[in-house]
Amino acid sequence: MPSSLSNLRALCAAIALLFTFAHPAAAQLSFKPTAEAVQEDKLLNALKEGDKITGRISIPDSMASSLIQPAGRDWRDFHRSKLPIIGGVAILGMFLLLAIFLMVRGRIRVDHGFSGTKLLRFASFERFTHWLTASCFIVLALSGLNISFGRVLILPLFGAQAFATMSGYAKIAHDYLAFPFMLGLVIMFLIWIKDNIPGKIDWQWIKQGGGILSNGKHPPARRFNAGQKGIFWIVIIGGALMSLSGWFLLFPYLPANVTALQFWTVIHAVIAMLFIAAMLAHIYIGSVGMEGAFDAMGTGEVDLNWAKEHHSLWVEEEQAKGRAASGSDTHAVPAE
Amino acid sequence: MKSFLAALAFAAIAAFCVSSVLDTIQQASSVAYTTSGARVGDPGNNLIGSN
Repeated sequence: MPSSLSNLRALCAAIALLFTFAHPAAAQLSFKPTAEAVQEDKLLNALKEGDKITGRISIPDSMASSLIQPAGRDWRDFHRSKLPIIGGVAILGMFLLLAIFLMVRGRIRVDHGFSGTKLLRFASFERFTHWLTASCFIVLALSGLNISFGRVLILPLFGAQAFATMSGYAKIAHDYLAFPFMLGLVIMFLIWIKDNIPGKIDWQWIKQGGGILSNGKHPPARRFNAGQKGIFWIVIIGGALMSLSGWFLLFPYLPANVTALQFWTVIHAVIAMLFIAAMLAHIYIGSVGMEGAFDAMGTGEVDLNWAKEHHSLWVEEEQAKGRAASGSDTHAVPAE
Repeated sequence: MKSFLAALAFAAIAAFCVSSVLDTIQQASSVAYTTSGARVGDPGNNLIGSN
């Protein structure tokens, strides 16, 4: 009898032990509180130092191992408070600056009037490349601004349903037009890099304010003046940064972790705001701001007097090659 | 004008081609992250669904 009783006791103990290990809460009761506290302390310190708490993961998505990432709060704060300020100052500030410039300086006219003689400035492939990049940029900029500001500025105007539909299509356009934009950047770089290397003459041009600040002043310039070279490099470098950061946003499994993804989001957003502001100035001077400028990208041909005033050295080179008229009679042609 | 219109058309066609290519090579996360050891079930009609 005693042996069967001890056997029964052993069986009950085994069953109790089985329940203890099967139930997680019950199993933890076996941990010493002091040991538990040391581990919790390490966890809290990791959170304080801005590090993140991760666990072990068995699925291929390594980013899913992230449990808590306090830096995400800083990223959210940047996106909600600092980025709108950067965007507002850059974009609205540029609009204001251009409006003031137009009011004070007025449209930059051709001093000697149009001669009526034209010379080819941009071939059709160059214009194609420019408009490929520019048209993609416009859609990318507007759809991108919608992502940043649409909910606050556009949604109240259109209502939730219309805004959601528009934003859905805008997102698709943004994602896929990025590719022809990147192609346009590469082609632009290849065909125009040789004319956009900075030189001594560019410094002289900058010192004279490009001649745009006052009438009658026309510092010499080759095919592209210093302002245009600046725009070229802003487009190439800004575009490259947008392309790289955008690539990581298109394929979010590429960055190592969520912190890297947040970093690329910040780069994409900040560079976008500055890029848009710079392009506003470019669009202004190429359309409203300067008489005769749009023809360069419109028809590809510019007036000889316009070219002599703004790109005198380039005209001399073209005349030497026989591509431009010598223009002995380049005074204004009266309307008939 | 011709260059401008050609550029618009090219951009639209290129974007469409890219979307077609990416649609064929990319997988939904429920497919990509399923292995023999971890099954990510059909998400149905939620935000990450195949539609």
